Amino acid sequence: MNNKLKVCIVIPAYNEAEVIKDIVKDINDAMKKTAYSYEVVVVNDGSKDNTSTQAKKGGAKLINHILNSGAGGATATGLSYANQNGFDFAVTMDADGQHLSRDVIRGLDTAKQQGNDLLIGSRLVDNKGMSRVKILGNKGLSLITFALFGVNVTDSQSGLRVFSKQALQGLRWKTSGYEFCSEMLWRAKQLKLNIAEYPITAVYTEYSKSKGQNNWNAINIVKSLVRRRLIEAFE
Amino acid sequence: MPIILLALFNIITQYKLRHITLKRLQHQFALWLIILVVLICSFPVYNLLSGNPVFDSSEFSLFDIFQTTAIVVIIYALNRQRQKIEQNEITIRDLHQELSIKMSQEGFKK
Repeated sequence: MNNKLKVCIVIPAYNEAEVIKDIVKDINDAMKKTAYSYEVVVVNDGSKDNTSTQAKKGGAKLINHILNSGAGGATATGLSYANQNGFDFAVTMDADGQHLSRDVIRGLDTAKQQGNDLLIGSRLVDNKGMSRVKILGNKGLSLITFALFGVNVTDSQSGLRVFSKQALQGLRWKTSGYEFCSEMLWRAKQLKLNIAEYPITAVYTEYSKSKGQNNWNAINIVKSLVRRRLIEAFE
Repeated sequence: MPIILLALFNIITQYKLRHITLKRLQHQFALWLIILVVLICSFPVYNLLSGNPVFDSSEFSLFDIFQTTAIVVIIYALNRQRQKIEQNEITIRDLHQELSIKMSQEGFKK
């Protein structure tokens, strides 16, 4: 009988043909050396380029979204796949190459040891390479997440997250854009899941800088989160 | 008054039939009770406020009462519609999600 823990690496991707193959290959190579039984799943969120072909070439299983659903929708699909297929852990990581495979493995080991349900890779413990504007934006969003939902984390917008089986079974959110990162923390708190953070190194290339969110988008995120909080206060 | 009593009765029926949650029952009950209190207290409130020049106006006419009630009911109806739209959005998203996973899993087998 195979007693290896089953891990699903979920990579939501939208128009990432340029880098997705290398990212999948890199995580595949790193995971092969571990004791985990794993699958790398790319959720192609209705990309207009050949992200799906490149992801397959890298060796990923592919879930194609017929319509573009946003980062929140694509992540939900990936985690739902992991839940339906009985994975013990799932990890989400960004498709722009800013996360290192060694941080993914370290996150899995940490979550397993500490018994965390939701472990967030924080880029702000060591924010080397991150621009001041981005640091300010991310810290601001973390502060707003705390003010609205009472969840105190240093990096509420991090895409590198480890989910336990319990989190996979229970976690659902309503927003589909980038605001899902904060909403997910709120839902996890409502479910009384064990939330923790660990420091990670984010790699900023010209490509990942061009793909990341800008601070103007943060305004939209805040608007959406405030609306969501108010709506649910009256439901 | 009969409209409010009817509304309260309807809310309780919906709750008993498990069409609405306890939280929703509490909110709707509170909403209609506020309307009821406003209607019952309109004259004492008018008497209280008439001494204050800021609120110096004629007392509530029957039309005013209808208008205020109508505004509250419209806001309530709008909120209901928003909730239904949101529920439909979630259903569509779940459907899209399931379709994508099922179609991809068929692709894995090939």
